[in-house]
Amino acid sequence: MSRIPRISASVRASLARRTYASSTVQLPNEAHGHLPTSQSPITSKLHFFNSVMEEGKQIPTYRVLDGSGKLLEGAEVPEFDEALARRMYENMSRLPIIDNLLYNVQRQGKISFYMTAHGEEATLIGSAAALDPNDEVLGQYREMGVLLWRGFTYDEVMAQCFGNHEDTCTKGKQMPVHFGSRKYHFHPISSPLATQIPQAAGVGFALKRDPLRRGKNCAVVYFGEGAASEGDFHAGMLLASTVPSPTLFIARNNGFAISTPSSEQYHGDGIASRGPGYGIHTIRVDGNDILAVLSAVREGRRLCIEEGRGVLIEAMTYRVGHHSTSDDSFAYRPRQEVEDRKRIDNPISRFRLFLESRGWWSEQEEEKFKDEVRKEVMKAFKRGESLQRHALKEMFNDVYAGEEPWNIREQRQELWALLKKYGNVWEPWKNELKKHKGEGKELIEGDV
Amino acid sequence: MFSARVSQRTLRLFKSPGRRFQSSAPEPPPAGGHLPSVATSALLRTTRDSALRSQGISWTDGDNDGPPGSVIAGRETRRMNLYQAVRDAMSIALMKDDSAVVFGEDVAFGGVFRCTMGLAEEFGRERVFNTPLTEQGIAGFGIGLASMGHTAIAEIQFADYIFPAFDQIVNEAAKHRFRSGGQYDVGSLTIRCPTMSVGHGGLYHSQSPEGYFMGASGLKIVIPRSPVQAKGLLLSSIRDPNPVIFMEPKILYRSAIEQVPIDDYHLPLGRAEILTPGSDLTLLTWGTPVYHCEAAVHLLSNPPPNLAPHVPASIRNAKIELIDLRTILPWDVETVTESVKKTGRLVIVHEASMTGGVGGEIAAEVQRRCFLKLEAPVRRVAGWDTPVPMQYEKFHIPDALRVLDAMIETLTY
Repeated sequence: MSRIPRISASVRASLARRTYASSTVQLPNEAHGHLPTSQSPITSKLHFFNSVMEEGKQIPTYRVLDGSGKLLEGAEVPEFDEALARRMYENMSRLPIIDNLLYNVQRQGKISFYMTAHGEEATLIGSAAALDPNDEVLGQYREMGVLLWRGFTYDEVMAQCFGNHEDTCTKGKQMPVHFGSRKYHFHPISSPLATQIPQAAGVGFALKRDPLRRGKNCAVVYFGEGAASEGDFHAGMLLASTVPSPTLFIARNNGFAISTPSSEQYHGDGIASRGPGYGIHTIRVDGNDILAVLSAVREGRRLCIEEGRGVLIEAMTYRVGHHSTSDDSFAYRPRQEVEDRKRIDNPISRFRLFLESRGWWSEQEEEKFKDEVRKEVMKAFKRGESLQRHALKEMFNDVYAGEEPWNIREQRQELWALLKKYGNVWEPWKNELKKHKGEGKELIEGDV
Repeated sequence: MFSARVSQRTLRLFKSPGRRFQSSAPEPPPAGGHLPSVATSALLRTTRDSALRSQGISWTDGDNDGPPGSVIAGRETRRMNLYQAVRDAMSIALMKDDSAVVFGEDVAFGGVFRCTMGLAEEFGRERVFNTPLTEQGIAGFGIGLASMGHTAIAEIQFADYIFPAFDQIVNEAAKHRFRSGGQYDVGSLTIRCPTMSVGHGGLYHSQSPEGYFMGASGLKIVIPRSPVQAKGLLLSSIRDPNPVIFMEPKILYRSAIEQVPIDDYHLPLGRAEILTPGSDLTLLTWGTPVYHCEAAVHLLSNPPPNLAPHVPASIRNAKIELIDLRTILPWDVETVTESVKKTGRLVIVHEASMTGGVGGEIAAEVQRRCFLKLEAPVRRVAGWDTPVPMQYEKFHIPDALRVLDAMIETLTY
């Protein structure tokens, strides 16, 4: 299949029939012709190559704003206005406020786990702003910012992290930050890495088959540079390019997979170098420059939907926070390195400088905004903390749909019978029941 | 046949309960509440002498480093938790075997559970190294190394994440010797992974996937209960001529502490260990639930006032034979059936879900071998057939109370 005349035929056409690029034999302009089954020119030169760019050169990084928030020479500002710019900045600024609070309360044992997005705010919000709100998002676990952009509330964040009875994401079944929302087209997070990547290719294909959504929406999958080492990454890229399927791959290259630096994660030129191997349009972007991310994701999305095929964006950023609350990153990286990155390459202050230079933001607004957010987040936190978990009977739900199989039914009945018998006298259960809505009374006192 | 079994049971229960359920000295309720913490478990070997006399221990000293064979005198122990014991075993393996390497995600800085702390510094990054995030790659790489006769000690960060490696483990590692007519083998491959519940891990940090590997003949599955066990069983696993999946109950990494012999030693694979001998009911388990079972035995013999009404006086003196299976594949059918033939009752406890769990395999074999000796149906206490639900986890795992209730039911059947 020739890669030169890129198939930009309509999505509909490619759906109706598998298109095979005609391999019309062209007169070779190469000295020795080319292989009969491809356009690969014959050469007599014994030469190995190890770069997708000109020999020895790394893939460049697309940037719009420099570190001090000034436009790079020749850079094009993406189409946007003050309202959008402010909304982007405000969304970026909200993340560390929520992150700091939830990180700290995890330390106090109020929630079991948390993961911050410190340092990656521009990648998350810049991409979220570039997407259509109905594009299907498949996240890894650090993409709460995308959900918030779409309207997910602080109360919903707290409900999931506390696993209280308002948690509709997982009904208390998953660990904190495992969000999911059909309303916001945000597929449920699972802890295993990279599993979402081939799924995204399937989601994209479903969009392409849907007459109401084809040509309008794509699947968007986020993952880290570490997850890109899993076989699932290769499977997803291959399917999205070959089947093909409109899938936008956004690699958050934040430098670390828990303790493992990206230098030990791959020997090649990052994640971007893999795109062309699958015949996928690829760009590397400065993930700490929100305008670069906005432009790259907008254009990537356009290509993705127009061609109905995968597109890869590698956003270069830095994980300022620890991997999670289970991690102490100073065991494997110097504290000073993190402090330096925070100071020198802070995505939030970089964008703030740009806004201020345009008169779109000020010190007073900053204080007022942060103050309001802190109050709202704290209010939601207190509320979320005060609510009980789902009723205990919820635990057996959602294993199967339809008729409940005998084993689940009998096990449920077995536990209810045990609760009736011991719920009031077995201290570990008695204490635990108090955390659930209804405190198990419906099971202890009711009919099993 | 059925009536014969019932009458025999009836006879025993009603005619001579006093003889059947020998009295044992009452023990006070544990200070920490009804569920004794792992830290205070009587099963842990907290003295040098008890550690050195661990059942089935065999010393594998090198040329000149320690007293010979079975001699205990002169041997030392050191206080270690489970992750330190695992580290100690790997350190010995690396020291004594130049071909041995340790690898996996984040192992170079010490591992997310600290099991490889300092090994990279001690043995160099060529022998203790990080891999990219690829479980199938880690398993396949280990198979390749092992097929060349090298000792491969791989870590999968969580047992929950072993599934991308399933193909490599089940189709490749397990079948390597068989499919090459014995020319090749990967016996020097050991895959370690943390397993079981911590109480708040949910779907993907609390699973016990040992049952998924039960059909993979050619493979061994080992789950230790304590530091002494972890070190001896891991060294045996590393040196066993078969590939071994070594699953470490992660809640025990810090909480289980014992005096651990500092020398090189083995504990036997394929052998269960009788932790407390008994004649009335066999309680079979492995890993974390060993301690829930220990607590349940205490609750049975000496129930606190609020549970007492549920524990008939007639069975409080029942002698429970607590067995740690240790090797899940191939499992020690001899020890288990000998025990059940003696007690006539079997309760199997595991954290993995009931359906497809290892308990079903054991129950099937025990009923075939001990059918006429059984006084009650073989009972399984297991996780429910749901994924592990985080906020409901304390009602999902088989805790001491569920084990107690199953024992009561089985003893009064």
